[in-house]
Amino acid sequence: MTDAAAGRPDLPQSIAHHPVRDVVTGPVGSIGITLIVVVAAGLLLIGPRFLSASNITIAGQFVAIPMLIGAFASFALLAGVVDLSIGSMAGVGAAIFGALVLSGWGLAPAIALTLGICLVFGAINALAVVGFHADPIAATLGMLTGLRGATYVIVEAYGQSGSLFAFHEGLFAFTNMLVWSLPLIFLIALAVTALAAIVVGKTRLGRHVRAVGGDPLAAARAGISVPRVRTGALLLSAFGAGLGGILFVGQLGAVSRLLGFGLEFQVYAALMIGGYSILRGGVGSPVGGALGFLAIAGAANILDLSGISPYYVNIIVGGLLLAAVLLDRIRGGDAYE
Amino acid sequence: MADHAIGHSVPEARPGMRFRLEGLGTAAVVALAWMALIAISAIHRPDFLSHQTILAIAFTMSIVGVLAVGQALVGISGGFLDLSQPTSLILTALAASRLLAAGLDPAFVIVLTLAIGALWGFANALIIVHGKLNPVIVTLATNFIGLAALFLVFQIAEAPIDSGFRAFGRGSFLGLPNIWWPMIALVLVVGFFLPRTRYGRRAIAVGGNRFAAQARGISLRKTRFAIFTASGVCAGIAGLLFAASSGPFTPASGTVYLLPVIAASILAGVSLAGGRGNIWLILLSVGFLSTVPTSLVFFGLSSDWQAIFQGAILIVAVSIDGYREKWVAR
Repeated sequence: MTDAAAGRPDLPQSIAHHPVRDVVTGPVGSIGITLIVVVAAGLLLIGPRFLSASNITIAGQFVAIPMLIGAFASFALLAGVVDLSIGSMAGVGAAIFGALVLSGWGLAPAIALTLGICLVFGAINALAVVGFHADPIAATLGMLTGLRGATYVIVEAYGQSGSLFAFHEGLFAFTNMLVWSLPLIFLIALAVTALAAIVVGKTRLGRHVRAVGGDPLAAARAGISVPRVRTGALLLSAFGAGLGGILFVGQLGAVSRLLGFGLEFQVYAALMIGGYSILRGGVGSPVGGALGFLAIAGAANILDLSGISPYYVNIIVGGLLLAAVLLDRIRGGDAYE
Repeated sequence: MADHAIGHSVPEARPGMRFRLEGLGTAAVVALAWMALIAISAIHRPDFLSHQTILAIAFTMSIVGVLAVGQALVGISGGFLDLSQPTSLILTALAASRLLAAGLDPAFVIVLTLAIGALWGFANALIIVHGKLNPVIVTLATNFIGLAALFLVFQIAEAPIDSGFRAFGRGSFLGLPNIWWPMIALVLVVGFFLPRTRYGRRAIAVGGNRFAAQARGISLRKTRFAIFTASGVCAGIAGLLFAASSGPFTPASGTVYLLPVIAASILAGVSLAGGRGNIWLILLSVGFLSTVPTSLVFFGLSSDWQAIFQGAILIVAVSIDGYREKWVAR
């Protein structure tokens, strides 16, 4: 991942890499192998039906929005400022959007206002974390709670019995549209991931984000504005969560007061399994993160088709999470003592 | 965490002195905020000042306060956070309910429940110490796994209604709920012994600077095991109080406590960077945070607003903490 930075005098140098070994032991390699194991297990336990178009459509619908939110949130992880508020941000975004649609707003202004409000919340996160040097985990945990409360209040005011029905025909058709027998939003999530991978891996901006996350002091000495990069990353993460919330409204046609509850843990578990770290910036890649989402979606799908309780998914995710951070530590991540 | 690493250029001069002075500053700020909240509520609705209000606040304080002691111990000793408290709380509450229903002697039930809590904390410490993994991620994962496992075991549970245990949870003593008294005792005892015993000072030293602590011959591993086991025991105490005082509960019932507990610990001056914090101040921070929901009711706002205020308070508190770490203390 850090290869692109090699040879640039203004960025932290990485140790020489072994190209072939890196493919297998690197973050993308290990999650790739995990995904292959999941697919093999699916084929063994479920049969060819596991890779049928209809099943991939179901799994794709299920994973698309979290994957999209994750692609945006991964920039904050990369810049070393984890944003735990994304789950509630998606919830409050959905609630605001639903309330606006119910109040007769048009699609475009409702989307614009929802995203604008989410960006304001993202700016508050940035003010606390970047401006006041608050601990990102604790500050965004506060935002998580506050926005959860805001979601309750909005759903209570505009909906009935804990649910806000905000069906929008155009948006429903868009979020459930199939292209080449795959869900359109899944393809969009893949496209955004690819775009993020290009930005992170190939552009000056991406190198700056990684440098800030990897070693903020060195990045600052190299003339990169650490506050500006981190503020941008937190705004991007809030924007992605708001967008995800709007798509949830389209997909579900309603906003439950619990929409997005625990989503942040699902997203970060997938991203960490994919090679990111919530405590250490500068590691991970969008491709690895997306593979993490696919591996979890595959595992969830296997259990679903086998009629096993979905709670086992969380047990598997928790176990994978521990294995992933252990692997990250062995690969040279910070050891905690 | 990463932000605390910036600007460590000036070493702190007298940690012991700062420990005490900062505690006072935090205490004054939280106490003022609390008084202001009570004053505003009382001006708006004079009937706010009633025994009923005190009962409600004390009731809310009990479980949050006990959990906050565990959270503060983890924070002070440099373990950042114990995010698995929602699981350990419900696990121990379930254990107490099931054991009581099985007809075991209440004293035995209490011992067993605390042992289960300790075991949970010990298991966390095993992974943290032997995997050399960050406690935040480890407890995040064990909470994930634990909650899912609890959902597989039960959907809804309750301690036997006619038991003396539940009668204790409903009753009050000297005008305050019974479950408030174990909390105050725990806070006073732990707050007294932490800075005054060798073991307590070791935990503070490890949180302040683990390399210096190690150089002085303090075992990091033993400290981690002790602290996380202690956090598990606190969760066990909270689980007992929870089972005694709440009605039927689900595996997810513990989740609502996590944030107020973390907020209480940070408001009490416990630094997430470790080495700083005063357990006694938990009484002030928990009291303040527990007054918020009751005040909201008097302002005619539903309990849904509670989360908004708690979130805002936490953001402000950690911003002040971060500002102090960066510009004042260092």
